[in-house]
Amino acid sequence: MGTVGLTLQWEHRISPVAGEGGRRVEPSQIAAGQNRENNALPEDAAIAAGCLAGDLRAYERLYHLQGARMRNLARNLLGSTTDAEDAVQDTFLKIQRGIASFRGQSSFVTWTFRILVNTCYDLRRSRVRRKEQAQGNSEQAPRPEPRAPGAHPTLRMALERALGSLTPHQRDVFLLYEVEGFRHAEIAAMLEISETASKNTLFQAKKNLRGMLEPPRGAEAGAL
Amino acid sequence: MNISCRDRERIFLDGSAEEWAALEQHAAGCPVCEQEVRAWKALSSAAEELRDYREDTQLWKKIEGALRETAEGKVSWRRFSERLGAWGEIPFGWRTALAGALVLALAFSGAYFLRHQNASDPGQNRLLKNSALAEVERTQRDYMKAIDTLAGQAKPELDSPSTPLMASYKEKLIVLDSAIDELRAETGRNPSNAQLRYELLAMYQEKQQTLEEILEMKQ
Repeated sequence: MGTVGLTLQWEHRISPVAGEGGRRVEPSQIAAGQNRENNALPEDAAIAAGCLAGDLRAYERLYHLQGARMRNLARNLLGSTTDAEDAVQDTFLKIQRGIASFRGQSSFVTWTFRILVNTCYDLRRSRVRRKEQAQGNSEQAPRPEPRAPGAHPTLRMALERALGSLTPHQRDVFLLYEVEGFRHAEIAAMLEISETASKNTLFQAKKNLRGMLEPPRGAEAGAL
Repeated sequence: MNISCRDRERIFLDGSAEEWAALEQHAAGCPVCEQEVRAWKALSSAAEELRDYREDTQLWKKIEGALRETAEGKVSWRRFSERLGAWGEIPFGWRTALAGALVLALAFSGAYFLRHQNASDPGQNRLLKNSALAEVERTQRDYMKAIDTLAGQAKPELDSPSTPLMASYKEKLIVLDSAIDELRAETGRNPSNAQLRYELLAMYQEKQQTLEEILEMKQ
Protein backbone atom coordinates (compact mmCIF):
# COMPACT_ATOMS: atom_id res chain seq x y z
CA MET A 1 0.00 0.00 0.00
CA GLY A 2 1.33 3.43 -0.89
CA THR A 3 1.50 6.55 1.17
CA VAL A 4 -1.29 9.06 1.21
CA GLY A 5 0.70 12.01 0.07
CA LEU A 6 1.87 13.05 3.48
CA THR A 7 4.70 11.12 4.99
CA LEU A 8 5.88 12.35 8.33
CA GLN A 9 8.70 11.45 10.57
CA TRP A 10 6.07 11.44 13.22
CA GLU A 11 7.75 8.80 15.30
CA HIS A 12 10.34 11.45 16.06
CA ARG A 13 7.88 14.27 16.57
CA ILE A 14 5.74 12.84 19.31
CA SER A 15 6.46 11.13 22.54
CA PRO A 16 5.90 7.42 22.10
CA VAL A 17 5.64 7.01 25.87
CA ALA A 18 1.95 7.66 26.31
CA GLY A 19 1.06 5.48 29.26
CA GLU A 20 0.19 2.07 27.97
CA GLY A 21 -0.33 3.53 24.48
CA GLY A 22 0.65 0.74 22.14
CA ARG A 23 0.57 -1.97 24.74
CA ARG A 24 -2.88 -1.56 26.19
CA VAL A 25 -4.06 -4.97 27.26
CA GLU A 26 -7.55 -6.02 28.11
CA PRO A 27 -8.58 -5.09 31.65
CA SER A 28 -9.61 -8.70 32.15
CA GLN A 29 -5.88 -9.37 32.38
CA ILE A 30 -5.28 -6.74 35.03
CA ALA A 31 -6.75 -6.88 38.53
CA ALA A 32 -6.93 -3.07 38.80
CA GLY A 33 -8.86 -2.96 35.56
CA GLN A 34 -11.39 -5.40 36.99
CA ASN A 35 -11.94 -3.18 40.01
CA ARG A 36 -12.49 -0.16 37.82
CA GLU A 37 -15.01 -2.04 35.72
CA ASN A 38 -16.87 -3.31 38.80
CA ASN A 39 -17.11 0.21 40.21
CA ALA A 40 -18.54 1.50 36.95
CA LEU A 41 -21.28 -1.15 36.82
CA PRO A 42 -23.63 0.19 39.56
CA GLU A 43 -23.68 3.66 37.97
CA ASP A 44 -24.25 2.05 34.56
CA ALA A 45 -27.23 0.11 35.95
CA ALA A 46 -28.57 3.18 37.79
CA ILE A 47 -28.51 5.25 34.61
CA ALA A 48 -30.22 2.46 32.68
CA ALA A 49 -32.92 2.19 35.37
CA GLY A 50 -33.39 5.97 35.38
CA CYS A 51 -33.74 6.07 31.60
CA LEU A 52 -36.24 3.21 31.74
CA ALA A 53 -38.27 5.17 34.29
CA GLY A 54 -38.25 8.15 31.93
CA ASP A 55 -36.15 10.26 34.31
CA LEU A 56 -34.53 13.04 32.26
CA ARG A 57 -31.81 13.44 34.90
CA ALA A 58 -30.58 9.94 34.00
CA TYR A 59 -30.25 11.00 30.36
CA GLU A 60 -28.45 14.13 31.48
CA ARG A 61 -26.05 12.03 33.57
CA LEU A 62 -25.45 9.79 30.56
CA TYR A 63 -24.72 12.87 28.45
CA HIS A 64 -22.46 14.28 31.14
CA LEU A 65 -20.47 11.03 31.34
CA GLN A 66 -20.44 9.98 27.69
CA GLY A 67 -21.66 12.91 25.58
CA ALA A 68 -18.23 14.28 24.68
CA ARG A 69 -16.97 10.83 23.76
CA MET A 70 -20.11 10.15 21.71
CA ARG A 71 -19.73 13.43 19.84
CA ASN A 72 -16.03 12.79 19.23
CA LEU A 73 -16.63 9.27 17.89
CA ALA A 74 -19.49 10.43 15.66
CA ARG A 75 -17.38 13.29 14.37
CA ASN A 76 -14.51 10.96 13.51
CA LEU A 77 -16.88 8.49 11.86
CA LEU A 78 -18.79 11.12 9.89
CA GLY A 79 -16.19 13.84 9.37
CA SER A 80 -18.64 16.60 10.22
CA THR A 81 -19.52 18.28 13.51
CA THR A 82 -23.08 19.05 12.45
CA ASP A 83 -23.73 15.45 11.38
CA ALA A 84 -22.09 14.24 14.60
CA GLU A 85 -24.40 16.36 16.73
CA ASP A 86 -27.41 15.09 14.79
CA ALA A 87 -26.21 11.52 15.32
CA VAL A 88 -25.81 12.03 19.08
CA GLN A 89 -29.27 13.59 19.35
CA ASP A 90 -30.81 10.76 17.30
CA THR A 91 -29.04 8.26 19.54
CA PHE A 92 -30.59 9.74 22.70
CA LEU A 93 -34.03 9.65 21.09
CA LYS A 94 -33.48 6.03 20.03
CA ILE A 95 -32.43 5.17 23.59
CA GLN A 96 -35.63 6.76 24.87
CA ARG A 97 -37.71 4.82 22.35
CA GLY A 98 -35.89 1.51 22.78
CA ILE A 99 -34.87 1.46 26.46
CA ALA A 100 -37.52 -1.18 27.18
CA SER A 101 -35.66 -3.56 24.84
CA PHE A 102 -32.37 -3.19 26.77
CA ARG A 103 -31.83 -6.59 28.36
CA GLY A 104 -28.46 -5.96 29.99
CA GLN A 105 -26.48 -8.48 27.93
CA SER A 106 -23.84 -5.78 27.58
CA SER A 107 -23.25 -2.69 29.70
CA PHE A 108 -25.63 0.21 29.14
CA VAL A 109 -22.78 2.35 27.82
CA THR A 110 -21.82 -0.32 25.28
CA TRP A 111 -25.47 -0.56 24.22
CA THR A 112 -25.59 3.23 23.87
CA PHE A 113 -22.49 3.29 21.68
CA ARG A 114 -23.83 0.44 19.59
CA ILE A 115 -26.86 2.58 18.81
CA LEU A 116 -24.60 5.55 18.07
CA VAL A 117 -22.39 3.54 15.70
CA ASN A 118 -25.46 2.23 13.84
CA THR A 119 -26.91 5.73 13.66
CA CYS A 120 -23.63 6.95 12.16
CA TYR A 121 -23.70 4.09 9.63
CA ASP A 122 -27.24 5.08 8.63
CA LEU A 123 -26.21 8.71 8.21
CA ARG A 124 -23.12 7.68 6.25
CA ARG A 125 -25.19 5.49 3.94
CA SER A 126 -27.80 8.15 3.32
CA ARG A 127 -25.06 10.67 2.61
CA VAL A 128 -23.42 8.30 0.12
CA ARG A 129 -26.80 7.76 -1.56
CA ARG A 130 -27.34 11.52 -1.81
CA LYS A 131 -23.84 11.97 -3.19
CA GLU A 132 -24.31 9.15 -5.70
CA GLN A 133 -27.55 10.68 -6.86
CA ALA A 134 -25.84 14.04 -7.24
CA GLN A 135 -22.56 12.92 -8.84
CA GLY A 136 -22.73 9.19 -9.59
CA ASN A 137 -19.70 8.62 -7.32
CA SER A 138 -18.83 5.53 -5.29
CA GLU A 139 -18.34 5.54 -1.49
CA GLN A 140 -15.45 7.56 -0.22
CA ALA A 141 -14.19 8.11 3.29
CA PRO A 142 -15.61 11.29 4.82
CA ARG A 143 -13.37 14.29 4.36
CA PRO A 144 -13.01 15.67 7.87
CA GLU A 145 -13.84 19.29 8.58
CA PRO A 146 -11.05 21.37 10.01
CA ARG A 147 -11.18 21.67 13.78
CA ALA A 148 -9.36 23.43 16.55
CA PRO A 149 -5.66 22.62 16.28
CA GLY A 150 -4.27 20.14 18.80
CA ALA A 151 -0.67 19.71 19.83
CA HIS A 152 0.31 18.29 16.41
CA PRO A 153 -2.10 19.62 13.75
CA THR A 154 -0.03 18.29 10.86
CA LEU A 155 0.18 14.87 12.42
CA ARG A 156 -3.58 14.91 12.99
CA MET A 157 -4.23 15.85 9.37
CA ALA A 158 -1.92 13.10 8.19
CA LEU A 159 -3.63 10.58 10.44
CA GLU A 160 -7.09 11.68 9.28
CA ARG A 161 -6.04 11.24 5.67
CA ALA A 162 -4.46 7.88 6.34
CA LEU A 163 -7.59 6.74 8.20
CA GLY A 164 -9.58 7.71 5.11
CA SER A 165 -7.58 5.15 3.14
CA LEU A 166 -8.41 2.27 5.48
CA THR A 167 -11.47 0.11 4.97
CA PRO A 168 -14.47 1.53 6.89
CA HIS A 169 -14.33 -1.47 9.22
CA GLN A 170 -10.64 -1.00 10.03
CA ARG A 171 -11.22 2.71 10.55
CA ASP A 172 -14.11 2.10 12.95
CA VAL A 173 -12.20 -0.45 15.05
CA PHE A 174 -9.13 1.82 15.20
CA LEU A 175 -11.23 4.79 16.31
CA LEU A 176 -13.12 2.79 18.92
CA TYR A 177 -10.01 1.20 20.40
CA GLU A 178 -7.23 3.73 20.06
CA VAL A 179 -9.15 7.01 20.17
CA GLU A 180 -12.12 6.22 22.39
CA GLY A 181 -10.38 3.62 24.55
CA PHE A 182 -12.93 0.80 24.32
CA ARG A 183 -11.88 -2.78 25.00
CA HIS A 184 -12.08 -5.46 22.34
CA ALA A 185 -14.99 -7.13 24.16
CA GLU A 186 -16.93 -3.86 24.03
CA ILE A 187 -16.07 -3.24 20.38
CA ALA A 188 -17.14 -6.79 19.57
CA ALA A 189 -20.53 -6.12 21.19
CA MET A 190 -20.94 -2.80 19.39
CA LEU A 191 -19.99 -4.00 15.92
CA GLU A 192 -21.47 -7.49 16.32
CA ILE A 193 -18.17 -9.22 15.61
CA SER A 194 -16.00 -11.55 17.67
CA GLU A 195 -13.27 -10.29 19.97
CA THR A 196 -10.71 -12.06 17.81
CA ALA A 197 -12.02 -10.28 14.72
CA SER A 198 -11.74 -6.98 16.56
CA LYS A 199 -8.12 -7.71 17.49
CA ASN A 200 -7.22 -8.84 13.97
CA THR A 201 -8.86 -5.80 12.41
CA LEU A 202 -7.05 -3.42 14.75
CA PHE A 203 -3.74 -5.15 14.02
CA GLN A 204 -4.32 -4.84 10.26
CA ALA A 205 -5.44 -1.22 10.60
CA LYS A 206 -2.31 -0.28 12.53
CA LYS A 207 -0.05 -2.10 10.08
CA ASN A 208 -1.65 -0.24 7.18
CA LEU A 209 -1.46 3.10 8.98
CA ARG A 210 2.19 2.54 9.73
CA GLY A 211 2.86 1.80 6.08
CA MET A 212 1.09 5.00 5.07
CA LEU A 213 2.51 7.32 7.69
CA GLU A 214 6.10 6.31 8.12
CA PRO A 215 8.71 7.86 5.80
CA PRO A 216 10.26 5.56 3.20
CA ARG A 217 13.31 3.79 4.62
CA GLY A 218 15.67 5.61 2.24
CA ALA A 219 14.26 9.03 3.05
CA GLU A 220 14.49 8.31 6.76
CA ALA A 221 18.11 7.29 6.44
CA GLY A 222 18.79 10.45 4.46
CA ALA A 223 17.10 12.58 7.07
CA LEU A 224 19.10 11.14 9.93
CA MET B 1 9.84 -15.05 29.92
CA ASN B 2 11.87 -15.76 26.78
CA ILE B 3 10.92 -13.50 23.85
CA SER B 4 12.50 -13.30 20.40
CA CYS B 5 11.96 -11.11 17.30
CA ARG B 6 9.61 -13.82 15.94
CA ASP B 7 7.15 -13.17 18.81
CA ARG B 8 6.86 -9.47 18.11
CA GLU B 9 3.88 -9.44 15.73
CA ARG B 10 1.98 -11.98 17.80
CA ILE B 11 2.40 -9.74 20.86
CA PHE B 12 1.31 -6.70 18.83
CA LEU B 13 -1.81 -8.64 17.88
CA ASP B 14 -2.78 -10.10 21.22
CA GLY B 15 0.00 -9.93 23.81
CA SER B 16 -0.57 -10.04 27.54
CA ALA B 17 0.90 -7.40 29.87
CA GLU B 18 3.69 -9.80 30.82
CA GLU B 19 4.52 -10.51 27.19
CA TRP B 20 4.64 -6.79 26.42
CA ALA B 21 7.02 -6.23 29.32
CA ALA B 22 9.22 -9.08 28.06
CA LEU B 23 9.14 -7.69 24.50
CA GLU B 24 10.24 -4.26 25.72
CA GLN B 25 13.04 -5.85 27.68
CA HIS B 26 14.11 -7.71 24.54
CA ALA B 27 13.78 -4.51 22.43
CA ALA B 28 16.22 -2.69 24.70
CA GLY B 29 18.96 -4.83 23.17
CA CYS B 30 17.51 -5.32 19.65
CA PRO B 31 17.47 -2.21 17.37
CA VAL B 32 14.92 -3.68 14.93
CA CYS B 33 12.40 -4.57 17.64
CA GLU B 34 13.13 -1.30 19.43
CA GLN B 35 12.11 0.68 16.33
CA GLU B 36 9.06 -1.49 15.67
CA VAL B 37 7.79 -1.23 19.25
CA ARG B 38 8.39 2.52 19.28
CA ALA B 39 6.47 2.98 15.99
CA TRP B 40 3.61 0.76 17.18
CA LYS B 41 3.22 2.73 20.41
CA ALA B 42 3.57 6.04 18.57
CA LEU B 43 0.43 5.19 16.58
CA SER B 44 -1.53 5.05 19.82
CA SER B 45 -0.11 8.40 20.89
CA ALA B 46 -0.97 9.85 17.49
CA ALA B 47 -4.56 8.64 17.91
CA GLU B 48 -4.88 11.03 20.86
CA GLU B 49 -4.77 13.85 18.33
CA LEU B 50 -8.24 12.75 17.23
CA ARG B 51 -9.63 13.12 20.74
CA ASP B 52 -11.57 16.30 21.40
CA TYR B 53 -13.67 15.92 24.53
CA ARG B 54 -14.76 19.50 25.05
CA GLU B 55 -18.17 19.81 26.72
CA ASP B 56 -21.01 21.16 24.64
CA THR B 57 -23.88 22.31 26.83
CA GLN B 58 -25.78 23.69 23.83
CA LEU B 59 -26.07 20.20 22.38
CA TRP B 60 -27.45 18.87 25.66
CA LYS B 61 -30.11 21.60 25.66
CA LYS B 62 -31.18 20.54 22.17
CA ILE B 63 -31.26 16.87 23.16
CA GLU B 64 -33.11 17.62 26.39
CA GLY B 65 -35.74 19.57 24.45
CA ALA B 66 -36.24 16.70 22.01
CA LEU B 67 -36.41 14.11 24.84
CA ARG B 68 -38.90 16.21 26.76
CA GLU B 69 -41.08 16.65 23.70
CA THR B 70 -41.17 12.89 23.06
CA ALA B 71 -41.78 12.14 26.74
CA GLU B 72 -44.68 14.60 26.89
CA GLY B 73 -46.13 13.01 23.78
CA LYS B 74 -45.97 9.63 25.49
CA VAL B 75 -47.62 10.92 28.69
CA SER B 76 -50.48 12.54 26.76
CA TRP B 77 -51.06 9.32 24.86
CA ARG B 78 -51.10 7.30 28.11
CA ARG B 79 -53.67 9.69 29.65
CA PHE B 80 -55.78 9.48 26.51
CA SER B 81 -55.68 5.66 26.64
CA GLU B 82 -56.72 5.69 30.31
CA ARG B 83 -59.63 7.96 29.53
CA LEU B 84 -60.59 5.75 26.63
CA GLY B 85 -60.70 2.86 29.12
CA ALA B 86 -63.57 4.61 30.92
CA TRP B 87 -65.62 4.54 27.69
CA GLY B 88 -67.14 1.14 28.57
CA GLU B 89 -68.79 2.55 31.72
CA ILE B 90 -70.92 5.05 29.73
CA PRO B 91 -74.53 3.93 28.85
CA PHE B 92 -75.02 2.75 25.24
CA GLY B 93 -77.27 5.68 24.19
CA TRP B 94 -74.81 8.28 25.40
CA ARG B 95 -71.95 6.42 23.73
CA THR B 96 -73.78 6.55 20.35
CA ALA B 97 -74.46 10.26 20.75
CA LEU B 98 -70.87 11.00 21.75
CA ALA B 99 -69.49 8.95 18.83
CA GLY B 100 -71.71 10.88 16.41
CA ALA B 101 -70.55 14.19 17.86
CA LEU B 102 -66.95 13.08 17.57
CA VAL B 103 -67.41 12.12 13.90
CA LEU B 104 -68.99 15.52 13.20
CA ALA B 105 -66.20 17.36 15.02
CA LEU B 106 -63.57 15.44 13.07
CA ALA B 107 -65.31 16.14 9.75
CA PHE B 108 -65.55 19.90 10.50
CA SER B 109 -61.99 20.20 11.78
CA GLY B 110 -60.73 18.23 8.71
CA ALA B 111 -62.53 20.58 6.35
CA TYR B 112 -61.24 23.62 8.27
CA PHE B 113 -57.69 22.27 8.17
CA LEU B 114 -57.85 21.63 4.41
CA ARG B 115 -59.18 25.13 3.73
CA HIS B 116 -56.58 26.87 5.87
CA GLN B 117 -53.61 24.66 5.14
CA ASN B 118 -52.11 26.95 2.53
CA ALA B 119 -52.53 29.98 4.71
CA SER B 120 -50.85 28.47 7.77
CA ASP B 121 -47.89 26.79 6.03
CA PRO B 122 -45.71 29.79 5.12
CA GLY B 123 -45.20 30.85 8.75
CA GLN B 124 -44.24 27.31 9.76
CA ASN B 125 -41.87 26.99 6.80
CA ARG B 126 -40.33 30.34 7.58
CA LEU B 127 -39.65 29.21 11.15
CA LEU B 128 -38.00 26.00 9.95
CA LYS B 129 -36.05 27.87 7.30
CA ASN B 130 -34.78 30.37 9.87
CA SER B 131 -33.49 27.67 12.22
CA ALA B 132 -31.83 25.77 9.35
CA LEU B 133 -30.26 29.00 8.17
CA ALA B 134 -28.90 29.78 11.64
CA GLU B 135 -27.41 26.27 11.74
CA VAL B 136 -25.74 26.72 8.32
CA GLU B 137 -24.33 30.09 9.35
CA ARG B 138 -22.99 28.76 12.64
CA THR B 139 -21.26 25.84 10.86
CA GLN B 140 -19.89 28.20 8.23
CA ARG B 141 -18.43 30.47 10.93
CA ASP B 142 -16.73 27.48 12.63
CA TYR B 143 -15.39 26.29 9.29
CA MET B 144 -14.02 29.74 8.43
CA LYS B 145 -12.34 30.00 11.83
CA ALA B 146 -10.64 26.62 11.34
CA ILE B 147 -9.47 27.60 7.84
CA ASP B 148 -8.12 30.88 9.24
CA THR B 149 -6.06 28.83 11.68
CA LEU B 150 -4.65 26.82 8.77
CA ALA B 151 -3.97 30.04 6.88
CA GLY B 152 -2.09 31.37 9.89
CA GLN B 153 0.18 28.32 9.82
CA ALA B 154 0.88 28.73 6.10
CA LYS B 155 1.39 32.53 6.33
CA PRO B 156 5.21 32.54 6.70
CA GLU B 157 5.56 30.48 3.50
CA LEU B 158 3.12 32.68 1.61
CA ASP B 159 4.50 36.04 2.75
CA SER B 160 7.84 35.36 1.09
CA PRO B 161 7.41 32.48 -1.39
CA SER B 162 10.70 30.68 -1.84
CA THR B 163 9.78 28.73 -5.00
CA PRO B 164 7.74 29.44 -8.16
CA LEU B 165 5.28 26.77 -7.03
CA MET B 166 4.74 28.55 -3.73
CA ALA B 167 4.23 31.82 -5.63
CA SER B 168 1.55 30.18 -7.76
CA TYR B 169 -0.12 28.82 -4.60
CA LYS B 170 -0.15 32.36 -3.28
CA GLU B 171 -1.82 33.63 -6.46
CA LYS B 172 -4.35 30.81 -6.32
CA LEU B 173 -5.24 31.75 -2.75
CA ILE B 174 -5.68 35.41 -3.71
CA VAL B 175 -8.10 34.38 -6.48
CA LEU B 176 -9.93 32.03 -4.11
CA ASP B 177 -10.21 34.73 -1.43
CA SER B 178 -11.65 37.19 -3.89
CA ALA B 179 -14.16 34.58 -5.14
CA ILE B 180 -15.08 33.79 -1.54
CA ASP B 181 -15.61 37.49 -0.78
CA GLU B 182 -17.87 37.88 -3.80
CA LEU B 183 -19.88 34.79 -2.93
CA ARG B 184 -20.22 35.88 0.69
CA ALA B 185 -21.53 39.25 -0.39
CA GLU B 186 -23.98 37.52 -2.74
CA THR B 187 -25.02 35.11 0.05
CA GLY B 188 -25.58 38.08 2.37
CA ARG B 189 -28.02 39.51 -0.14
CA ASN B 190 -29.74 36.18 -0.64
CA PRO B 191 -29.19 34.13 2.56
CA SER B 192 -31.50 31.19 1.82
CA ASN B 193 -30.15 30.42 -1.65
CA ALA B 194 -28.81 26.87 -1.21
CA GLN B 195 -26.92 26.93 -4.53
CA LEU B 196 -24.87 29.93 -3.40
CA ARG B 197 -24.13 28.16 -0.10
CA TYR B 198 -22.90 25.07 -1.98
CA GLU B 199 -20.66 27.21 -4.18
CA LEU B 200 -19.27 28.97 -1.13
CA LEU B 201 -18.63 25.63 0.57
CA ALA B 202 -16.79 24.37 -2.54
CA MET B 203 -14.58 27.48 -2.47
CA TYR B 204 -13.80 26.97 1.21
CA GLN B 205 -12.95 23.32 0.58
CA GLU B 206 -10.64 24.33 -2.26
CA LYS B 207 -8.93 26.86 0.01
CA GLN B 208 -8.58 24.27 2.75
CA GLN B 209 -7.04 21.76 0.34
CA THR B 210 -4.63 24.36 -1.03
CA LEU B 211 -3.52 25.33 2.47
CA GLU B 212 -3.06 21.68 3.39
CA GLU B 213 -0.87 21.18 0.31
CA ILE B 214 1.23 24.18 1.32
CA LEU B 215 1.65 22.81 4.82
CA GLU B 216 2.62 19.41 3.41
CA MET B 217 5.29 21.06 1.27
CA LYS B 218 6.52 22.86 4.36
CA GLN B 219 7.24 19.45 5.87
